[in-house]
Amino acid sequence: MIAVIIVAAVIALVQIAAARSGTPSPISAVGTSVLALVEETASSAGNAVRNGATAVLSLPHLTHDNQTLLARNVALARQNAQLHERVAADAQTLSLQPVIAANRVVAQARVIGFPPENESRSLTIDAGTRAGVQKDDGVMVGGGIVGIVQEADPWSSTVLLITDYTSRIPAVVQRGRWWGIARGNLSSVRVEYVSQDASLHVGDVVVTGEGRSFHSGNVIGTVTAIERSDTGLYQTAVVKPAVDLNALDRVVVVGK
Amino acid sequence: MGPPWWLATLWLLAALLFQLVAARWFTLRDAIPSAVLVAVVYYAIRVDTRRAAIYGLAAGLCDDLLSTGTGGAWTIATTLVAIFAGMLSRNFFADSLLLAASMAAVATLLRNTIFWIVRSAQGYPSGMAGLHFHQMLWQALLNAALIAIVIFLGRWRENYRTG
Repeated sequence: MIAVIIVAAVIALVQIAAARSGTPSPISAVGTSVLALVEETASSAGNAVRNGATAVLSLPHLTHDNQTLLARNVALARQNAQLHERVAADAQTLSLQPVIAANRVVAQARVIGFPPENESRSLTIDAGTRAGVQKDDGVMVGGGIVGIVQEADPWSSTVLLITDYTSRIPAVVQRGRWWGIARGNLSSVRVEYVSQDASLHVGDVVVTGEGRSFHSGNVIGTVTAIERSDTGLYQTAVVKPAVDLNALDRVVVVGK
Repeated sequence: MGPPWWLATLWLLAALLFQLVAARWFTLRDAIPSAVLVAVVYYAIRVDTRRAAIYGLAAGLCDDLLSTGTGGAWTIATTLVAIFAGMLSRNFFADSLLLAASMAAVATLLRNTIFWIVRSAQGYPSGMAGLHFHQMLWQALLNAALIAIVIFLGRWRENYRTG
């Protein structure tokens, strides 16, 4: 009995002292913390029981929901791929706009084939004489020239790429207006017969000269190396084509 | 003896389809594998020279029809290579992986060389075989690998069928 009175007195004194100093009482702090812990534990347990019960009750629907979500996921992935394809196609179409604006466009075409044995650097497009395409028409994309129509059939045409060994295009080094002949060299183009006086530099831009297939000023590529000998009459520039000729999809056929 | 004609025709059609659609996916240093040549060599080392020549003729003709301006160069080159493979195959077993791969590599070099010789005879600029030599070597490697894969698949199928 006495002990209870002593404890009560101590509690009362602690509470009074805390009230006077204006600080939280340690007893209240301990009590609140303990209560919060108990409350949190009880709440977690309650939630777990409730969630478990909900899961058990909704178990028959989960399989159906899962299948629905999987189907929706597949549909969204397909839609996403289609949208990416459209974005890529639109980007290619947009890149053709400057070419279309600056040239007399005969036809727009898609690349539909390559030589089966890769014996020549050429490709087949889906526009032929019925679309107005003729032999020796130029073929371009936004980045530069692709090649020249080698053979035009009614529904399709064969385009000889600028990298083919037999391709010859008049070329001009843009910086100094030095003339040469751009000849294909499988993966690159060699601009030959450039005067020894020309001070060629790596990085110079090479464009078409006025010729049978192209007007002047269309980009062929950039000089990556220069071959010059003291005894030769001419020098040769090795040019990297401006267009990735292995990744062509839509092209423009231009006439003169 | 040898594979039936309808199966050989199916091989050729599959090879042509591969050549038109998928061969470019396996480009190695500007060279692509030639499934048509692999089909010809694979068939030619299993049959007599006459059937090999007919098969080579048909395969080369298809290549020429699908190419532009090659004249009959692929027809001549592929027929001669088929005859060559058919004649040599009398001396070894058709299922020898190493020999078939070597045959495919040699046939690739021979076929391309004959092709460019015929092309130059047709008026195309001469010296193309030399210019394409580097590409030919890579194609020989690709074709040797391709015929090795084909023989492996054939063996696997045979083992599967016989249990």
